[in-house]
Amino acid sequence: MNCNKFEELLSAYQDNSLSPDEKKTFTDHMKLCSDCEAITEEVDHIKAILPELNRDVPFFLKNRLYLIGESDEEQAPVRNYAYLKWVAAGIGTMVLFLNLFYFTNIFPAANKTLHTAVAGVENFVVEAEAFIGRIKESNNLFIFKKTEVITKANKKKRDAKAKRKTIRGFKYG
Amino acid sequence: MLIDKYSRTVYNLAFNFCGCSDDANDLTQDIFIKIYKNIDKFDESFNISSWIIRISKNHCIDYWRKNKKNNFRIDLEDNLVRDENSPEDNLIKSGDLNKLREKILKLKPEVRSLLILRDIQNHSYKEIADSLNIPLGTVKSKINRARIQLAKLYEDR
Repeated sequence: MNCNKFEELLSAYQDNSLSPDEKKTFTDHMKLCSDCEAITEEVDHIKAILPELNRDVPFFLKNRLYLIGESDEEQAPVRNYAYLKWVAAGIGTMVLFLNLFYFTNIFPAANKTLHTAVAGVENFVVEAEAFIGRIKESNNLFIFKKTEVITKANKKKRDAKAKRKTIRGFKYG
Repeated sequence: MLIDKYSRTVYNLAFNFCGCSDDANDLTQDIFIKIYKNIDKFDESFNISSWIIRISKNHCIDYWRKNKKNNFRIDLEDNLVRDENSPEDNLIKSGDLNKLREKILKLKPEVRSLLILRDIQNHSYKEIADSLNIPLGTVKSKINRARIQLAKLYEDR
């Protein structure tokens, strides 16, 4: 066994997890090599004192930590809108590429499809405008007819009122 | 409550990792803020202790990387031993502990955190391997090398 192999097995030796043969070779080397013996003693020493570095949490710090816990419980859940920036970036990239394909002829097939799609949308808009115009016109007619009906009814009422006035005039005049 | 159960683990990892109680207080606070912020993301099928150890260790390493240029200092009065031994013995013991803390800071951050968890906080190898998602054999060999390196550093004094 050499010193490197000895160091490799040191923790296993201290944990008592070496096989009897390995243990014998290990102890034989330790008897012959003073450096390895010294290292083993030093590791034993530091292993014994290291747990003393474990200490209690200072009182004031624990109080501060409780405050963090309380303030967190009172907080409303925060919604994460971080994904929106990726959505915006995606839409931006798409628009950029659509413009590129529309105004240049890098990909003729894409250019043709886009122009057809835009023409379709334009036709749709024109037809929709015409349809809305027709609806508005029919609504105006309806309003006009309604007004006329109301006017006729009012005229009847007005006539009846005038008649009553005339009769009253005859009575008291 | 999380703080009662895990503040000691987090604080001791932070304190022995950076060697200064002021920095350890800040680090512990930051780690608990992080824990509370991310508690919704914690998968309950996993062990919470492992999750907290992983967050603490990663936070300590990040903190170390960002601040290592500022040279971490050690508060000597932090480890004054006041037990039943004679004042001379206590002074020698305090000196030993401070020397040891100083030498621990010379270990690589990754290895240092493993050594703190095993030899200072007495977590089992398996617990450490599960927490940090490292193979058990790797944890054992890294801790073994860390002990030998620390012993050599300590011997030089």
